[in-house]
Amino acid sequence: MKGNVIIKGNKNGIKLVLDDKISFDELKDLVAKKFKSSAGFFKDSSVALEFEGRQLSDDEQVELIDIISENSDLNIVCISEGGNEKEKEYKNLVNEGISNINSQMAQFYKGTVRSGQVLESPNSLVIIGDVNPGGKVVAGGSVVVIGTLKGIVFAGGKGNEKSFVIALDMQPIQIKICDIIARSPDYAFKGKKAIDVKIAFVEDDNIYIEPLNKDVLNDIEI
Amino acid sequence: MSEVIVVTSGKGGVGKTTTSANIGTGLATLGKKVVLIDTDIGLRNLDVVMGLENRIVYNLVDVVEGNCRAKQAMIKDKKLNNLFLLPSAQTRDKTSVTPEQMQALINELREEFDYIILDCPAGIEQGFKNAIAGADRALIVTTPEVSAIRDADRIIGLLEANNIKKQHLIVNRLRMDMVKRGDMMSIEDVVDILSIDLIGAVPDDENIVISTNHGEPLVGTDCLSGKAFMNICHRIMGEEVPFLNLETKQGFFSKLAGVFKK
Repeated sequence: MKGNVIIKGNKNGIKLVLDDKISFDELKDLVAKKFKSSAGFFKDSSVALEFEGRQLSDDEQVELIDIISENSDLNIVCISEGGNEKEKEYKNLVNEGISNINSQMAQFYKGTVRSGQVLESPNSLVIIGDVNPGGKVVAGGSVVVIGTLKGIVFAGGKGNEKSFVIALDMQPIQIKICDIIARSPDYAFKGKKAIDVKIAFVEDDNIYIEPLNKDVLNDIEI
Repeated sequence: MSEVIVVTSGKGGVGKTTTSANIGTGLATLGKKVVLIDTDIGLRNLDVVMGLENRIVYNLVDVVEGNCRAKQAMIKDKKLNNLFLLPSAQTRDKTSVTPEQMQALINELREEFDYIILDCPAGIEQGFKNAIAGADRALIVTTPEVSAIRDADRIIGLLEANNIKKQHLIVNRLRMDMVKRGDMMSIEDVVDILSIDLIGAVPDDENIVISTNHGEPLVGTDCLSGKAFMNICHRIMGEEVPFLNLETKQGFFSKLAGVFKK
């Protein structure tokens, strides 16, 4: 029975080598077992799936994919048919799938980002604490600081100009969203500052910082 | 014709960074083309004192590692067109740069600048070795305290061992009232112990704290410390300038106080 179902890895995902001598029902059982045992290894990665060794009808393919999703956390982005021409396309699809997921996922960080410390994440970031001068936050998506932002923030590392930065007390030295940099004014505003939640966003190749009111909220796209 | 000056002290907190910022600004005010290099990797301060922190994109380590050209990392001063700052990296440590790399960088900058001023970190380890690697001349900053003088003495020895013979002393944070009472060493006492030439004495002045916090060096302004720093700049350029009488102001104030007391 061994070797009837083999999982191989390729550039964009996994290749499932199936035996064409056994019945489809038998095969389904084997696939289910195989993926159940390797679910821990694959975790929730995004992959392109390729079948080999057996001709499958569309219905059979769908059935197998269902079995895989049931028995593991794999996120199957597409079915690839092998061959180089299509590989690029699949690769793009996989990458897109990954970035779509990441822009909507945020990591939490609790604590103060102090001078000389760099907090980095490929996803968005929520910081529960302050970012001190000299501290740096780098995120693939947006950044939210539940505290005072006095350091440097690079948001939108993935190139999404819709990325934004929100802070309860916004006094950054520098903010960079995608390739646009803004720096703090040289002469600090004297007098009492109204502390309110502010958002930094990109519009017409400039970074704007505005109080987070309803109008601005409506424009935010996640 | 360019001169590479390292500002060093051994002990921390005696005023290396403040001195670097003021001397750099002073020399630029006098029409020289100056670049200030912060070699205190991991604990950078010079950018804050110069008020240029918000302009930093690239830093010294980026230049040395070839991530950018030296020109891209240099920040032009807010007011003076002939003053530049090469900031240090905050997220790295001293071992990110070697003395050889510093020397190569300085040789590159020599062609363009009249004065290259290196702000040295405290201590005698790698950071110190990096800072003195390409220096022609050293300014040793000390305060009239035994601990600072002990460290300055050690530094002078190390500089001599590294063939930097041109050394001058700056006595910082001098309080004439305490000297008069005999509670603080006088300039003469300090020079006696260290036996190198004095290039200037700077009084303890609360204006320094204000200027540091605002990110604007006070060299050239009307206060006593501003004048003292400007005089040091003139002396660096080879001019003969008489030493300020740091007591005059004190005298004036006590006279004034006396008038009111009557």
